[in-house]
Amino acid sequence: MSKLGAVVEAVEKHEKFVRDEVQRARTDEAFGREMLERWEKIKSEIPISRAPTGLPLPRLALPEIDEPGEIARYLLGDGLPGEFPYLNGAYREMYLEPLPEIETGSYGNAKSPNGSKGKKNGAKPQPPEEPTRLFSGLMLAEDTNKRFHFLSAHQRSKRLSTAFDGPTLYGIDSDADGVFGKIGEGGVAVDTVEDMVRLYDGFELGAPHFSASMTISGPAPIIMAMYIAAAKRRFGPKVVPNLRGTIQADIFKEVQAQNETIFPIEASLRFLLDMIEWTAEKMPRWYPVSISGYHIGEAGSTPVQQAAYTLSNGFAYVEMLSARGVPVDQFAPRLSFFLDCGLDVEYIALARVSRKIWAIGMRDVFGASPRGQMFKLHTQTSGRSLIAAEFKNNLTRTATELMLAYMNGTNSCHSNSADEPFTTPSEEWIRLAAHGQAILLEESGIFKHTMNMLSGSPGMKAVERAVEKAILDEFREIESLGGVMGAVENRYQRSQIQNAAHRYEEQIYNGTRPIIGLTRYRSPEDEMPEIELARTPRAKQELQVRRLKAFKKKNAAKAAQALDQLSEVVESCENTFPALLEAVEVCSLGQISDRLQEVVGRFRPMV
Amino acid sequence: MASPVRILTAVPICDGHDSAINTINLEFIRHGIEVVYLGFHRYVGDIVRAAIQEDVAAVGISSYNGGHIDFFAEVVRQLRRAGAEDIAVFGGGGGTITPDDAKIMKRKGVDQIFFAGTSLGEIAQYVKKRYGNRRKKKNRRNADLVLARELTQIEDARGKIRNSKFTIRKSREACVIGFTGPGGAGKTTLIDELVLRFLRNQPGARLAILSHDPSVVGEGALLGDRATMINSQDDRVFMRSMATRGQAGGLSPATESCLARLTSAGFDYVLLETVGTGQEALPFRGRLIDQTVLVMNPDYGARLQLQKIVMLDVADIVVVNKTDLDRAKVALSEIEYRLTQNKRGQQLVATVAKRHRDAGVDKLYEMLTEPVIPSAVEGSRGKSFKVTSRDASNPPRFARNDGKGKGQAKKQTKDN
Ligand code: B12
Ligand SMILES: Nc1nc2c(ncn2[C@@H]2O[C@H](COP(=O)(O)OP(=O)(O)OP(=O)(O)O)[C@@H](O)[C@H]2O)c(=O)[nH]1
Ligand SMILES: [Mg+2]
Repeated sequence: MSKLGAVVEAVEKHEKFVRDEVQRARTDEAFGREMLERWEKIKSEIPISRAPTGLPLPRLALPEIDEPGEIARYLLGDGLPGEFPYLNGAYREMYLEPLPEIETGSYGNAKSPNGSKGKKNGAKPQPPEEPTRLFSGLMLAEDTNKRFHFLSAHQRSKRLSTAFDGPTLYGIDSDADGVFGKIGEGGVAVDTVEDMVRLYDGFELGAPHFSASMTISGPAPIIMAMYIAAAKRRFGPKVVPNLRGTIQADIFKEVQAQNETIFPIEASLRFLLDMIEWTAEKMPRWYPVSISGYHIGEAGSTPVQQAAYTLSNGFAYVEMLSARGVPVDQFAPRLSFFLDCGLDVEYIALARVSRKIWAIGMRDVFGASPRGQMFKLHTQTSGRSLIAAEFKNNLTRTATELMLAYMNGTNSCHSNSADEPFTTPSEEWIRLAAHGQAILLEESGIFKHTMNMLSGSPGMKAVERAVEKAILDEFREIESLGGVMGAVENRYQRSQIQNAAHRYEEQIYNGTRPIIGLTRYRSPEDEMPEIELARTPRAKQELQVRRLKAFKKKNAAKAAQALDQLSEVVESCENTFPALLEAVEVCSLGQISDRLQEVVGRFRPMV
Repeated sequence: MASPVRILTAVPICDGHDSAINTINLEFIRHGIEVVYLGFHRYVGDIVRAAIQEDVAAVGISSYNGGHIDFFAEVVRQLRRAGAEDIAVFGGGGGTITPDDAKIMKRKGVDQIFFAGTSLGEIAQYVKKRYGNRRKKKNRRNADLVLARELTQIEDARGKIRNSKFTIRKSREACVIGFTGPGGAGKTTLIDELVLRFLRNQPGARLAILSHDPSVVGEGALLGDRATMINSQDDRVFMRSMATRGQAGGLSPATESCLARLTSAGFDYVLLETVGTGQEALPFRGRLIDQTVLVMNPDYGARLQLQKIVMLDVADIVVVNKTDLDRAKVALSEIEYRLTQNKRGQQLVATVAKRHRDAGVDKLYEMLTEPVIPSAVEGSRGKSFKVTSRDASNPPRFARNDGKGKGQAKKQTKDN
């Protein structure tokens, strides 16, 4: 019995609580009056936004209700943005243009009912940091570094998102047999701490305006250690507590969908939790795990499966960390989420509902304080929805998905390039993808004047209800299999995803899911577009191997010692992360993962 | 009825994009194709070895992470080098394989590439038509290939090869161990862990594995055991996956003949895995099995259920796997009691097959490799093969999985 069953109960209890409070607001006169007064106060504090045409608008849009029961339903069941259960948003204000001056009201300074103090917003002169993130990685560290400088040249805040190549994702060195052709393909090759130094060269790693995100999970603790070691080499040990960023590290979704697990599940979990424990204490600004549904969705799951598996994976981590005795308020605020956003109707509210379920579970089952209840979300538009046939249509698909992602109040977002089906995106299409977000957020008036602009339509509510019910049903199923671990061992998530993926493809060709340009309105001249493929030149791959060999030669003696020490720590029950920090100074990624596999075994693939 | 088309599918090294191939596998099965699935993140050498041993008509590769021109070409090259140029190579990778790439790949010997936007049905039809009646060349150079092709003949004749050079008499060369037990008990995991120990402790030994998955006459099957076996992807291991093609009881109509052929092919051990079996199953009726191992899952339910499991009376060794689970304690004592009542000197061992260097698996390995008396009575399912006398009054010998095993196991890996 895992805690997932308790989460289901907590959500049901919360729904009942809301129903009861609605009744009470209608029958208990004093309580009804209190609701009305609160509502009036909230409304009176909302500042005025002005569209460029001069049209005045409230900076926060609220439903037009004046009946105490409905007010209670809204405030307690959905919550104002930034208030429990965060259905409308994790924060009070998002994406809004800074106000030139406060016209009226002081919304934003009010105390929220569960005690958290809202951010002082309103009069901030600087625009908030852009939510746009661009995932990139190609060839060798210096090439990706150049791409990073190109991409972030015009950003106020430098938010780099790193993709690694295949060998790195699988913890294999570039000089290993059989991987030569894969070096630098699909992401950047990183073998050693020296590569890590090159990768972020010229960026100020400890600065408040800088953050790095690393998309890697199987060998994540080793790569995290390399990042810290590289930062120390460049800025000294004092930089560590200032490091900001995210490492994906989520191992459950690897086993369920992305297939990059390299150690047995239990050992992988141990290394992960060791790292989370260490960083939660020593790197308070770092997000050591990004609990990801993206890969589950892209592997072909339904949106509901995606949300249910992601949330349940998250709760499983919380349960395991709590069992280790780590205080929930130390790690819960450092958990973040990563969801897919495609074109299915569920995406109208999927992230909204996820935020609500997470908040209720964290508060009522795990006792987290408000910062730990917030579901901090990064979204990526769906790669799978992007089609090779008449690929320029992908611009429209991505734009539609972006709209849905921002309607769901995502905290940051990556938009895919239209050339996604073919290769690592080229600069031309990346630029268009980034500009898609800028057009939506900066040019259009949809999101910049009013928070909650499109929240809470009857259709959206209907989707919320249906999706919430379906997610809870999935939770029950997982719980009946013994919780996340039991379900994983039974291949439950994998087989569900595979069946959904097969159904999805079938539906494309039987017409249930029309694809414009492929199964509908197909152009008579059905050609593949001319696209320049980014392939890593052989000379670069050879350079990477040479550099790695030199590193190994230089450190041979020290490496042997560091690896033996690492083995010893792994055999003991100690936290393995400090030993990894030592090892990465003199060992390559492959040397470390090989040694760890000798001690704990290799992952037995689940298919 | 014609025998089903057999193909192998896999995803290249450093690539975990398995969604397309999983979908295609499901579609193939629906179209009556037998698919041996090797899984994702696979080396060329593993794919070629499997293609030869499984004697498939074609190899389908799904590649997304780049490097496909070299990877496909290398598979073709290695197949040719092994004398198996008649095994076709085909595949896809959505938009990552461009038409220009495909042209080069075809020049290098790839049979067909399926681009993004091809319907599943179209792919399955192509495979059935094109690989359905492949004539295989005779090859005498490569012993694995010769053996593999003979096994195909036996399998396609449903084991009834007349004037057979493959007599059903067991040659004494190989020790045959049969593994059976309920679905999901851990048979495959256990076999793969034993293989690791065989390979390490017996440097010259060669092994064969014959593994089974269920299928219905005239329908396809997914033969997926290879994908989860990490230690058995080795040149010293010959593995063959069989679909039961309609036969009940956990084995295929051709199992016995295939087994006979394997026992005279120079292997030291032949490990046989049945499909997951029900309570009444008694799969090993032949005279070819030396030792039978029943792998149990602690989740068999109530004690009453235990009474109904017939194999418990005849297995030489009973393994209770998954003893990391809480309810294993009860299961162990219930099964121990039952074996004691049998008074047949059966052995009981507790394992955690999924754990690296598990002491219980070490113990099982020792039991299985105890010296065998070659002159022992034929056809007695090996019960009296052991040097250790097993008097009927003996209680079951019970190898528990205590802490002591750990140091031992550690030494074992350090020796490597
Ligand atoms: C789904 C997906 C994922 C999922 C994979 C989930 C899974 N378990 O499979 C996730 C999110 C996990 C993922 C991760 C990554 N991905 Co990805 N992914 C995709 C995506 C969006 C779709 C691929 C897909 O499955 N399509 C569905 C299938 C059914 O359709 P199809 O591809 O059109 O294929 C058809 C035919 O070609 C044919 N076919 C395909 N294979 C075969 C095989 C045989 C035998 C036959 C007969 C036919 C056939 O069947 C299909 C039917 O029409 C593509 C981009 C795209 N839109 O295509 C990127 C893409 C393949 N990924 C890419 C990359 C880089 C990655 C990562 C390396 C990113 C990173 N650095 O972290 C990781 C690596 C993951 C790993 N372990 O290897 C790149 C590859 C770039 C390159 N080659 O140059 C792509 C092209 C995106 C991009 N432009 O950057 N990815
Ligand atoms: N908890 C636990 N799980 C195990 C153990 N050994 C194997 N498993 C898991 O049990 C599941 C089934 O293992 P397999 O080896 O495929 O079982 P099988 O008996 O070969 O299954 P079938 O061939 O389908 O009948 C897998 O998810 C394994 O990871 C163990 O010792 N403990
Ligand atoms: Mg099996």
